[in-house]
Formats: sequence, structure tokens, C-alpha cells
Amino acid sequence: MSKITHTVKSHWRQLNIVMRNEYAHIFRDAGVILIMVFAPLIYATIYSLTYGSQVLRNVPIGVVDMSKTDTSRKLIEAIGMGPNTVIAYELDDMIEAERKFYERDIYGIIYIPDNYEKMLLGGQMATVSICLDASYMLMYRQAFQEMVAGINTTGAMVEFQRLIARGAEIPQAKAITQPVIYQGHSLFNPYLGYGTFVMPPIIMLIIQQTLLIGIGMIGGTWREQGLYGKLKPKGSKRLSTLPIVTGKALVYASIYAVSSFYLLNVHYRLFHYPMNGNAATIAVFLAMYLFACIFMGIAVSTLFRRRETSLMLMLWSSIPLFLLSGASYPAEAMPRWMVQLASIFPSTHGAPGFVRIQTMGASLAEVLPEIRALGRLIVIYLGLSCIGIHFLVETDLADTIRDNWKKRIASRKTAARSAEDTPTN
Amino acid sequence: MRSLRNIYAVMRREMRRIWAYKPYFMLLTVLPIVSFLFFTAIFESGIPHNLPIAVLDEDHSVLSRKLTDMIDAAPEAEVRYEITDIDEGERLMREGKVHAIVQIPSFFEKNILSNTPAHVEGYISGDNVLTNGLISKDLLTTVTTFGTGVQLQIMMKQGLTEKQAMAQAMPVRFDKHVLFNPYTNYGYYLSPSFMPMMIMIFVVLATVFAIGSELRYSTAREWIEAAEGSLFRAMTGKLLPVFMSMTLMALLMFFLLFDVINVPLNGSFTMLFVGCVVFIVSYMGISIFIIGLTADMRLAMSLGGGYSVMAFSLSGLTFPVMAMFKGIQLFSYIFPFTYFTDMIVDQALRGAPAAYSIPDLCCMAAFQILPLLVLPRLRRIALDSSYWGKM
Repeated sequence: MSKITHTVKSHWRQLNIVMRNEYAHIFRDAGVILIMVFAPLIYATIYSLTYGSQVLRNVPIGVVDMSKTDTSRKLIEAIGMGPNTVIAYELDDMIEAERKFYERDIYGIIYIPDNYEKMLLGGQMATVSICLDASYMLMYRQAFQEMVAGINTTGAMVEFQRLIARGAEIPQAKAITQPVIYQGHSLFNPYLGYGTFVMPPIIMLIIQQTLLIGIGMIGGTWREQGLYGKLKPKGSKRLSTLPIVTGKALVYASIYAVSSFYLLNVHYRLFHYPMNGNAATIAVFLAMYLFACIFMGIAVSTLFRRRETSLMLMLWSSIPLFLLSGASYPAEAMPRWMVQLASIFPSTHGAPGFVRIQTMGASLAEVLPEIRALGRLIVIYLGLSCIGIHFLVETDLADTIRDNWKKRIASRKTAARSAEDTPTN
Repeated sequence: MRSLRNIYAVMRREMRRIWAYKPYFMLLTVLPIVSFLFFTAIFESGIPHNLPIAVLDEDHSVLSRKLTDMIDAAPEAEVRYEITDIDEGERLMREGKVHAIVQIPSFFEKNILSNTPAHVEGYISGDNVLTNGLISKDLLTTVTTFGTGVQLQIMMKQGLTEKQAMAQAMPVRFDKHVLFNPYTNYGYYLSPSFMPMMIMIFVVLATVFAIGSELRYSTAREWIEAAEGSLFRAMTGKLLPVFMSMTLMALLMFFLLFDVINVPLNGSFTMLFVGCVVFIVSYMGISIFIIGLTADMRLAMSLGGGYSVMAFSLSGLTFPVMAMFKGIQLFSYIFPFTYFTDMIVDQALRGAPAAYSIPDLCCMAAFQILPLLVLPRLRRIALDSSYWGKM
């Protein structure tokens, strides 16, 4: 019994030491503060401002109107009517249009052939060519949508007029022109705002990446400064593994609880991102996500000998991991093995799960697969952290012994040398 | 001659350092290759297809069945669930199992047969703008095609020939020419900019480490002395291995892009390669500037890393610069990456005449002013031990 209370007491004391030391290291170190405290806020703000306008409007397009008739004029007006494009130039021929394209003055061309009006009036089919630039996907989509809408409206109008001319009744003509009406609705993000789409997963990824890099930096510091040995309480031989892991985890969790609270309450409101999630659901999910990231961070950090290593080796992974999370580029389009590989990262479950909770209002039961996956990651990375830290404590012990020996040998040598030197002087 | 000897001496010294310090070695070799292979593999198919959707068929008729089959056959959507009420669909959506719900209401067939407009509703999740775009395009096209088919039948019943009916149903037809990326392939569009992005990150980290580590590990004087006191030669010798490795990586990248992923190369490869070299050098210059200003390796790495990661969003490739707020637009010009993505689009996808890329090239080259500004300070720092040893 007394042995158990002793262990608990000792662990409690060590936990306190580790936590105090960890806070001190984070807040004394400009590099770490920059990564763990300011980076989440700075990144979130800059990205949100970048996507602040949310939608792309008025993509400039050019018209090559060879017909130059009232009928073709009407078509051009119909296309220019929508909010997404603006007819920026009326060009004489395709050569000129091509030049404007290369100069990035226009991102789409409509070519109306000279027989346009003749064909329409003769009851035949007129063909209009549209040229689009798919080197910028968003421009492509906006321009394409508007051009097709314009052409279809014009077509329906012509057809309607022809039917009426042939003596059809108005309702009948309407039904023939458009027998099936399609109405599309975008849920959760009605104007298809780009920031609303991309920011929630980006925020999740920023949390993970800054945690991984920051924890790695601190881990490198421990190693470099031999803190595993220095921090051991008086009277005991070494630090125990569990207090180190839990102490570190609690410190990072407390810091990120504050940043997440800011991001999800203040930042979200500032930029009007959808907040459909239930607060308790978000809290539970986020806590699991944070601990999965933290334990992964601690586990990985045990590999780093120096404080700069984590930044050097992990910074690049931000964009690959963002893609792998499937929140922007759909997982359906990735190779199967890659999707499976991706599941070792918390963001792969955290980002889509969070989006569904916060943007779509999903309940905990509806993100159960993600919760389970995060739970598994927590267990695995907690285990790996303990193993890693345990080895480091041992290595540190070995290092200190070796260092002591080296020092002793060195001091003996210098002593011997000085003994040799003295007589000659 | 002496200067060449000095540069060579520093270079040999740097090669030993690269070999001795493994993360530095990784930055220059393994990591770029791993990241390139990653981007090569992830865009393997390039076009997302068979995105799962649910259909709520309240009509249960031949025509509604036919429409469902047509939607299923469309390239990007796949009917994975047939549901019985809209709540079920919403639940599937919140569970992340479907991206959209199509509702075909009752009396769909009856309305069509009795010449009354029938409605089809599509509810597409907006949480992902990309899949939303693909699915709504698919649904719109499919329903329009279906409607045209219905129209043709009605008119042919009224005694028109097929050709007449066609001209009647679609008086204005369009033929679509997608220039430059005719398959609207996401791999063609994203990988030529993600890979240079990786080169940029590794150039910045490696350059900052190459110089910064001399300060951190208090070896800066030794470094300058290896070049017999000339900072310029010391810098050249030190950065040559980084430059050479990154240029090799750029060649590997171009090989993967144009020969493995099969991104079209419509313009001048020479221009693109020259652009890439200038791009690498410009980021080296920026890194020298940052380390010169901060004189602290880790701070410089954090700043440089942050600066390079930010470049992608601000380059305007995914979210165009013209759509950004006016003040933010200015920020997009402080990244050489922005000019380089323009070059890639021009030279690889668009096949623009090489002359159109020269302004971009000049803008990237202009970043070389930055390192010149800090060189005097850097010399002072390198020789003043009070700047050394900052952890």
C-alpha cells in the first residue's frame, strides 16, 4: 500500500516538474511561441483574408461576333447578364482573341459564326463555339456555367417563339420547351463560398501541423539539453515515463484549448463561417483530435535529436496532408493504398469529421467512424510515446554516464599533461 | 584562380557538413523525391469520378427509373443509395456517405406525358466546392439531356422528322473547346504547381540551415576563413551544393510531370527550365535575406517556412487573384512562386509564346536585390561571436 502511495506521490511531483518546465520552455523560446501560439492565429487570419471575398465574380470573357446581327446581340446580352462573367472585349477575330488570352485579359471566348441569324430564322440549328481555359479551374467553371446558361436561355426563347408562331398555346409551348425543370440547391454553403469550403479543414490542419512541429522542437530541446537527466527529482534515479508523457500532453492541450476556443468562436464569427455544430459535440470531437495530434507529436518528437529537425523534416508535409485529408480533393479520386496510408494521420479523420459536425451539424453518432479512428490513433500514439520516451530516458542515463567517463578521462589527461608541462616551464 | 580555389574549398567543406548532418542531407535528397512521388501518385486518375449520391424516387415510374439510370451512368456521379425519404438522405450526407440527394417527385411521369413541366430537385452539399461543382454540372447535363430526349419524342409524335425535331428542340447548340487542359484534369492543373512548391520549401529550409547552422554551432569564422575572408566566395561555395541538388530535383520534377503524369508541354521547355533556375535562386536570395536579418537560425526557419507555405494560397492558382480583396492582391506579388506558376501555366499548359514569360522572369530575378541588402550585415554577424550559439 505504502509503495503505491509513494509511486503516486512521486509521479505527481514529477508531473508538476515536467509541466512547469514545459510551459517555461514554450514561453521562453521565440521560435516555439511563434509556431505554437502565433502561427495558428496568423495562418488562420491570413488564409481567411485571402479567401475573404469567398466567390469569384466577373470573369472577363471575349466575344468574336462574326454575325453582327440583332439575334447575335441578344445572345451576347444573355451571356453577359449573369454575375459570374463580364463581356470585357468584343474582338474582330480569333487571332486577336488568342492574343488577349495570352495577355490574361480574358479567360474565355464565345465565337458566333456569320450564319448564326440565317440558321435561326430558317428554322435550323445554329452552332456557337465556346473556348474555355481550364488552366484555372475556378475561372473555367464560372465562365462555363454562365455561357451555357446564356446559350440555353436563348435557345429556349427561340424555340418558344417558333412554337407560338406555329400556333401553339403558351402553357403547352412552355411544357414542350422545358419538359423537365432541374433545380439545384447547395446545402450548408448556399453561395459556394471558397473560404467557407476550405477554411474549416485548413484550421484543423494548422492545429495538427503546428502541434507536430512545436512538440518536435521541444522534444529536440529536451534531448539537446539533457533535460531527461536534469529534471529528475532529488533522490530518484530518473524520471518516470508516464509523468513525462501526461505532463507534456496536458500542457499542449491547455495551450491548444485556448487557441481552438479563439478560432472556433471569435475567428469563426469574424469570417462568418457556418456554425451548425452542437457545442458539446464539437468539444468532445476536438478534444479527441487534439490528443491524437499531441500523442503523435510526442511519439515523433522522440526521434529528433535537435530542436530544428522537426521543422526541417515536417514542414513540407502540410500540403500533402491537406490533400490526404480528403476534405478538399475527394478521397474517391485517390488511389486506394494512399487512402489507407493516410489513416495514420489524425487530420485524415479530424478534418472531414469536424467539417461534418460544424458545417453540416452532424451528431456524434454520425461521425462515429471518425471518433473510433481517432480513439485508435490516441491509443497507438500514446503507446508509441511511452516507448519512445522510455528509451530516451534510458539513453539519457547512458549518455550521462558516458559523458562523465569522458570528462573524467579528459581531466586526467589534462592533469597528466600539466604535470608534464610544469617541469619544462 | 584563387577565387575558384576558395569556392571549391568551401564547397568541399559544405559537402562534408551535408553528409554529417542527416536532416540537412534529407532535405536535399530524400524528402524532395518522396514528395514528388506523392504528388505523382495522388493525382493518378486526375479526375474524381463516381462520387456517391442518393436518389429519392417518389414516382416509381419507368421514366423516373430511366432518369436514375442516366444519372448513375454520368461520369462523375454514382447512385449509391436509393432512399425513401429526405431525412434519410440528409443523414447519409451528415455521415459523409453521399455528396448529393436527387429528388424525383411524384407525378413525374404523369406530368411529362400530359405536357406539364415536371421538376427534379438536386440537393448538393456545399461543404466541398469542388465536388459540388462536378456533381451539379453532371446533374444539370443529365437532366437537360433527358428533357431533350422527351422533347424529341413529343415532336416526333407530332410528325416532325428527327432532324427537324432536333433543330426545334435545340435551336442554339454549342460546341465546347476546352483550351490548354482539355481533359479538365486536376492532376494536370495542380501537380505542376504543388511540385515547385515543394522545391521552394526545401530550398528555403536548406539555405537557411546552410548559413544559419554556422551561427548556431559557432563555426561561422571557420566558414569565412575557408574562403580566405571573402563572404561572396564563402556564400557561393556554400550554396552551390544546395543549388545543384535542387536543380537536379527540378529536372526530376519535370520528368515526372511531363513524362509520367503526362502534363501537356505546349510551350518552351528551355524557358520553363530557365524559369525554374531563376525561381530556385530567388528563393535562395530570400532565405539569405531572412537569415541575415534575424541572425537566428530557428527564427529564420520558422519565418521562412511560414512565408513559403503561404505562397500557394496567394498565388491565385486555386482561388484567383482577381477575386481577392484589393489589399490582399498586393500580397500575392511578394512571392516569386506567383510568377513561377504563371510561367508554368503559360509554358506548359497554354503554350504561350516564350515572350509572354519574360516579365515573370524579370520579376523573379528582381528578388536578388534582397540578399545584396543584407550582405554587409551578414559579414558582421559571421565574424562577431556574440551572434553565435543562439539555440
